[in-house]
Amino acid sequence: MLLVPCPNCGPRNAADMRYVGESGPRPDPNTATPAQWRDYLYTERNPAGLLRETWYCRSGCRTFFVVERDTTNNQFVHGPTRVTKLGGKA
Amino acid sequence: MSDRAGSEPAFESSVLRAYAPGSSNALTLSDESALAKTIVRAEAGSPASASLAVSFGSSRREGATLVLGQRPDEYMLIGSAQSNASIVARLDTSGHVSVIDHTHSRALFRLTGAQASATLEKVCSLDWSNAMTPDGAVVSASIAKVNCDIARNDREPVDAEPASASPSYLIACDRSFGQYLFDALIDAGGEFGIGVVTAADGLQE
Ligand SMILES: [Zn+2]
Repeated sequence: MLLVPCPNCGPRNAADMRYVGESGPRPDPNTATPAQWRDYLYTERNPAGLLRETWYCRSGCRTFFVVERDTTNNQFVHGPTRVTKLGGKA
Repeated sequence: MSDRAGSEPAFESSVLRAYAPGSSNALTLSDESALAKTIVRAEAGSPASASLAVSFGSSRREGATLVLGQRPDEYMLIGSAQSNASIVARLDTSGHVSVIDHTHSRALFRLTGAQASATLEKVCSLDWSNAMTPDGAVVSASIAKVNCDIARNDREPVDAEPASASPSYLIACDRSFGQYLFDALIDAGGEFGIGVVTAADGLQE
């Protein structure tokens, strides 16, 4: 079982969460090219190592938050930090 | 449908299956869905949030209403319709505040007894010990795969002796899952001799 640290609820079973995906800056929709937008929506780096990612506390507090996870051992190393602005990957 | 305008539709619970009344006092389940439920969304720091005066994860009693801090920016009032209405009437709704009556959209059950925590632990991944979820605690979690808001609301103070403890939980879920969750709790509590009792009239004192 993966225990995901929610900033409000504390550690919760990953089954109580929704995995949103890798976090990164959202391009400006007014100036981004289609290629940049597609890259933002669909391309993931999928590193073996530290990954900044967004989770949604689906069954708990309904908050989006960002954590950093080491994908080689599933340890959460940084975070969680709240996502205050919705509408995209943080 | 001429009577729709201006009149409140009669309340109908989502739990329709009949269970024989239980003989065990150790663990009971009742359908409290008829209690009024009002959900207030108010961002932290707003006047409405301040006047509801309950932090995320806790609850307090005001008159015939239990006020739950069920999200960082959301509150549920459970109680009599008049009592909920009087709290709402005093709210300063300036800023981002919404008040919605969820009486007909949420099912509400009360699970009570020394084995209530053990029953929840079979169908929910949270820690239901006194240390983690004392009387007054409010949590949201998946129970038997249904997203629920749960408030611990003991009938009487639970003393240090686990043998005499009788924790009581109010469990709210979407109306459409009501019958399923009721059945799932009956199933989970079967080994502890769970029995269905009729709803108390209002909240426990
Ligand atoms: Zn949470």
